[in-house]
Amino acid sequence: MNLLIAVPFVVPLLGAAVALLLRRAPRAQRVSSAVTLAVVVAGAVLLLKATASGAVVATQAGGWAAPLGISLVVDPLAALLLLVSSVVLLLVLLYAVGQDISGLSRAMPQVFHPIYLVLTAGVCLSFIAGDLFNLFVGFEIMLTASYALITQALTRERVRASMIYTVVGLTSSILFLTGISLVYALTGTVNLADAADKLGAAPAGLRMVLALLFLVVFGIKAAVVPMHFWLPDSYPVAITRISAIFAALLTKVAVYAIIRTQTLLFGRDDVSVVMLWIAIATMVVGILGALVQDDINRIMSFVLVSHIGFMIFGLALNTVAGIAGVLIYLVHHIVVQATLFLVNGLVRQYVGHTSLRSIRGLTAVSPVLALFFFLPALSLAGLPPMSGFIAKVALFQAGAQAGGWLVWTALGAGVLTSLLTLMAIFRVWIRAFWGTPLPDMLEARAELRRGPDVAGRRIMAVTTGAMVGVGLTVTVAAGPLAELAFTAAADLLDGGAYIEAVMEEGPS
Amino acid sequence: MSTPEENRGPPNKGAAGDGAPPEGWEAPRERWLSTGVRPAFGPRSVLLEVAARLLIPTILVFSVFLLVSGHDQPGGGFVGGLVASLAYVLRYVAGGRRELAAGMPMRPDALLALGMLIASGTAVAPLLFGHSVLESASLTVALPVFGKVKFASILIFETGVFLIVVGLVLSVVSALGARMEAEEEEARAARERARRILRLRGGPR
Repeated sequence: MNLLIAVPFVVPLLGAAVALLLRRAPRAQRVSSAVTLAVVVAGAVLLLKATASGAVVATQAGGWAAPLGISLVVDPLAALLLLVSSVVLLLVLLYAVGQDISGLSRAMPQVFHPIYLVLTAGVCLSFIAGDLFNLFVGFEIMLTASYALITQALTRERVRASMIYTVVGLTSSILFLTGISLVYALTGTVNLADAADKLGAAPAGLRMVLALLFLVVFGIKAAVVPMHFWLPDSYPVAITRISAIFAALLTKVAVYAIIRTQTLLFGRDDVSVVMLWIAIATMVVGILGALVQDDINRIMSFVLVSHIGFMIFGLALNTVAGIAGVLIYLVHHIVVQATLFLVNGLVRQYVGHTSLRSIRGLTAVSPVLALFFFLPALSLAGLPPMSGFIAKVALFQAGAQAGGWLVWTALGAGVLTSLLTLMAIFRVWIRAFWGTPLPDMLEARAELRRGPDVAGRRIMAVTTGAMVGVGLTVTVAAGPLAELAFTAAADLLDGGAYIEAVMEEGPS
Repeated sequence: MSTPEENRGPPNKGAAGDGAPPEGWEAPRERWLSTGVRPAFGPRSVLLEVAARLLIPTILVFSVFLLVSGHDQPGGGFVGGLVASLAYVLRYVAGGRRELAAGMPMRPDALLALGMLIASGTAVAPLLFGHSVLESASLTVALPVFGKVKFASILIFETGVFLIVVGLVLSVVSALGARMEAEEEEARAARERARRILRLRGGPR
């Protein structure tokens, strides 16, 4: 079990070292990176199997007992997110390999693979970290790698975007560190399980301030309104593979951190009113932003912001049903966002950009591409029977059970947001996919068909198709997923199993 | 790009008393560093070169001391790595990018990769024997000269960290400072070429 917990973190680091050594041999590098991520996926599957019943497994690095040692903990929530993230990371890597083979991204230096694997290690460490400081380390590994990734293939626009991104990231990191030191000052520990015990005895006012501080820290990283301004400015300008992975994972890791800290560390009702207001603002402001944009990537970024609101809403309810809804939503959203950004990358092949102003008739140019867009887009808008519908129904049911005027307001905002999302999606559909294609798009298609780099583009299309398939699997497997989500949510709200697993686990 | 010969410091012009500006004052006749090539920016400084020559071995030995003593005393791989990379930075400041390149044991990214392999390899090694991540074993041996020496397996991990830090600092220095210097050298060579062409054509009219 020890070996298994370390796999998602250590294996990508080893893979990164190997990829760095193989810089001069791109082919071997591609194979080794893909194998590395496949191993991570396998590890995540085994971890999920071990924890699916609600069990929590923990290990102490260095053999020092908690709270002294560094605890690595996997509960059902962490295992579920590890699995989804590693699958998405693997597919995006394959897409990137296809892009490299097809020669569409000649400017891409060979450092992409090592940095990407380091990012993977950071994401995984954030999920399994059992103490606040290690969570910070995981975040920093992830963010530092993302600073390097967002500046790949530099253009003037990307420099500007990455400046904003980096400054905002560093600001929230400083606040994070401040929060950790405050928790340490109050309780004398940074171990999550230990601090959960001791914070219970802390004065309610202090606890609420800390809860708000952590909400702001992770709120910046999760891009909730009013701390969302950096996201639609920086994500859309990065290259496809990077914006896909950022949109899918980075904000969700922050949502995970919000879930973990708010359920485990702080009192139930400390900040839930604030969170409901934030949820309403995020949903509405985000989707209104999406409606006035003219670029598919920017629309998707605003929709991303808006849908973070749904997750905050579910979390604010503080019920098992609410948190289970959040978990289903997380899984659905990670997969769907990654798919849509990859599809945008495919669109870019034909027109070189994603601005709605000069795209028409994509359905006629490539019917498969239209299908790849249509399925996840429907899911995003929450039409039955897609996974988005299931996730939203779970959330709305939980909201209706909880009741109260503010919750009903938030529910109304949620329904409105869903409708407006549908409108935003149809705007893209009507303007970009319907109509007669522009002549240069047909020319681009003919040229692409004749080009020598068909193999790479086939890989890109197949991986995007696989991502769509993963989305459909989430829909089909909604039953087991919901069961798992309810188990995980019950574990989270109870907190006992987590604390016990960490504190009991001595040096093995 | 210019050849090393073009960049060599001017022979002691000022000392000869030919009326030329005394630009060679600071240029030492002796080579204190291994390449003896002048950096593109600024004059050479005897003081700095001599200091670098004397200090670098001491700094490197001190960094190894920090690394070895790190497991139960102040020090460790990170600090040791920083100190060791200071030696290289000093060498770069004194002698420029060619001097730095001459002193590098291997490519910075290879150093990084090697360090990462060693560090994460030792982190997982205990798992294979059923212990937890990063758990350390220690071994005390009596060596003839040193007496009792304690060897902790975490030292291998620290060595990895040491290499990562050195690799990182070296790649930063060679990406920022040395790149700028190479560009300056190229620009200088281009100016030189342009001047030569103008001279061949009889100069500007």
